[in-house]
Amino acid sequence: MTIDFSVLLLNYPYFISIIIFCLGCLCILTQHNLLKKVIGINIMQSGIFLFYIALGNIKGGIAPIYDPGLPEATLYINPLTSTLILTGIVVGFSVTAFALALIVKLHQFYGTIHASEIIRMRSLG
Amino acid sequence: MHLWENMPFFLVIGSLVGAFVMAMFARWKKEWCPYLTIISVGFSFILSCIIMSRVAGGEIIHYYAGGWRPPWGIEMMIDELGAVMLLLLSGSFLLIAIYCIYAVPKEIHPSVSGWYYTCFLLTLSAMMGMVATNDFFNLFVMVEVTGIGACALVAAKGEKLSTEAALRYLILSSIGAAFLLFAIAFAYQLTGNLNMTYVAAELANIRTQYPVIIWVMISFFTVGLGLKAALFPLHIWLPDAHSSAPSPSSAILSGLVVKVYIVSIMRVYFLVFGFDIFTGTYMRYLILAMATLAILFGSFFAFVQVNLKRRLAYSTVAQIGYIFLGFGLGTVWGITAAMLHIIIHAFMKVCLFLSAGAIHYQTGRKKVTEFVGLGYQMPVTMVSFTIASLSMIGIPLFGGFITKYGIALGSLEADNPYFIALIVLSGLLNASYYLPLIWQAYFVSGPRIKLKMDAVPLSMLVPIMIMAAGVIYMGVFPGGALNFLGKAVTRFLL
Repeated sequence: MTIDFSVLLLNYPYFISIIIFCLGCLCILTQHNLLKKVIGINIMQSGIFLFYIALGNIKGGIAPIYDPGLPEATLYINPLTSTLILTGIVVGFSVTAFALALIVKLHQFYGTIHASEIIRMRSLG
Repeated sequence: MHLWENMPFFLVIGSLVGAFVMAMFARWKKEWCPYLTIISVGFSFILSCIIMSRVAGGEIIHYYAGGWRPPWGIEMMIDELGAVMLLLLSGSFLLIAIYCIYAVPKEIHPSVSGWYYTCFLLTLSAMMGMVATNDFFNLFVMVEVTGIGACALVAAKGEKLSTEAALRYLILSSIGAAFLLFAIAFAYQLTGNLNMTYVAAELANIRTQYPVIIWVMISFFTVGLGLKAALFPLHIWLPDAHSSAPSPSSAILSGLVVKVYIVSIMRVYFLVFGFDIFTGTYMRYLILAMATLAILFGSFFAFVQVNLKRRLAYSTVAQIGYIFLGFGLGTVWGITAAMLHIIIHAFMKVCLFLSAGAIHYQTGRKKVTEFVGLGYQMPVTMVSFTIASLSMIGIPLFGGFITKYGIALGSLEADNPYFIALIVLSGLLNASYYLPLIWQAYFVSGPRIKLKMDAVPLSMLVPIMIMAAGVIYMGVFPGGALNFLGKAVTRFLL
């Protein structure tokens, strides 16, 4: 199977969104700082949001608000994916808020927000 | 109000409203919360019973939110499996809510006990939504709400371990949700629909055209929902979260929450992708391999645990392996056994975790080596515990035997008899870590103790007894459930 690079170039938003997704995933898995893990979750979700937005976009399309003054053949972008992402952002926001609250609590218990430190302290006592 | 037509909607929204009302009462009249929760869950239970009777009459309920028909609107579909799951969810939550009246003040700080019921009802509402929905994006939202609710149920204890476990659970479950969202993006990109039925119809047409994207999509669904359902290599969050949570939460998480994700993943595999893509992408063999590892390693890890709730949590990992093994076989008996095991394992695990909570309530014991004499101190709890344990091992006349028998028949149907050896081996492993507990409780002579009634409130004993009775009922009269679920299986394998 040959990869047509011109197709990749043409669809670069998808490509970038997958790179962002992978970076976020890497950030969650490799960082020991819990705050950075939460930031990783947000980066990962941003990648997906970009993917959705790119999915609904049309080159030369305008916002999907009907205006009788515009010509009949006007291109409107797909509003559905943007709507979905609005919900996705709210969900991501609540997960972040909850995770931060838990991190504050962990900081009260252990005095640190490093996952490796917490594991070490737990194994000691 | 048109309650009859809008029943699925009221089912989900009822407990959601209940959750918000409970948040109000948490500030004002904290002591009313448990009883209001029971009323709210009871309402859901009655609605689930009516839905069950409608589905048992041969009707598959399609509900269009706001009257918008698919592919534009959000559709809720309740088939046989969905109706059984709704009844199981609301029934178990009702019993656990009754158990909570005395268990929550003991295990949870009084300042958050009202909020605990908010999370309780929120989780119930989202889980019922997940079972009932037929729309991918709705599924994602419900998955996230269930994830947050379940994490809050773990974190409610407010101790070091449970907070840490809740954070790990939250991070891993949001990774899972991200993969799920990405998979849904692929589904929408390929088919232009979010309704599962329409996606399935479209996928059947274009499956030869886009093999790579379909392969990526099915693996993303597997990772996303498998992470949340704790399929073996992705189970790392489960033992900590389930063992450090308060007992009612452990029962909910272990018995019900992971099952809902399994129901979703079964629907995605069989109703959306279909059996051909499921096998053709080798995903079925991967599931079989991971389920085998789950059964073996889950049992091994359970064997070496000293803390009772950790042992039960690892046992959940192994039992989830059974469910995945059952539907991974892809035969009529295998899938039926998997569906049946979802129900029976819910009965068993809720019973075991509630018993563990009751033992901790009366004696403060947490370790598996401290069971000496318990059979005489708490006879009712220990008899129920024994029934559930024997069912876990797979002794005939108990529920667990039926699913093991079903999976064995399924592996014969699939022409793969090695799995029978696996089932026998895992039965022996289960016996090795459940029988010592029972032996200690009844036959090891400690300081002389006379037989006396449990010093646990009746409202904690009754849910345990009902769950144990459910295990025996499913073991002695499995015919009704098997026939009923068989109808769902025939549609799964179309």
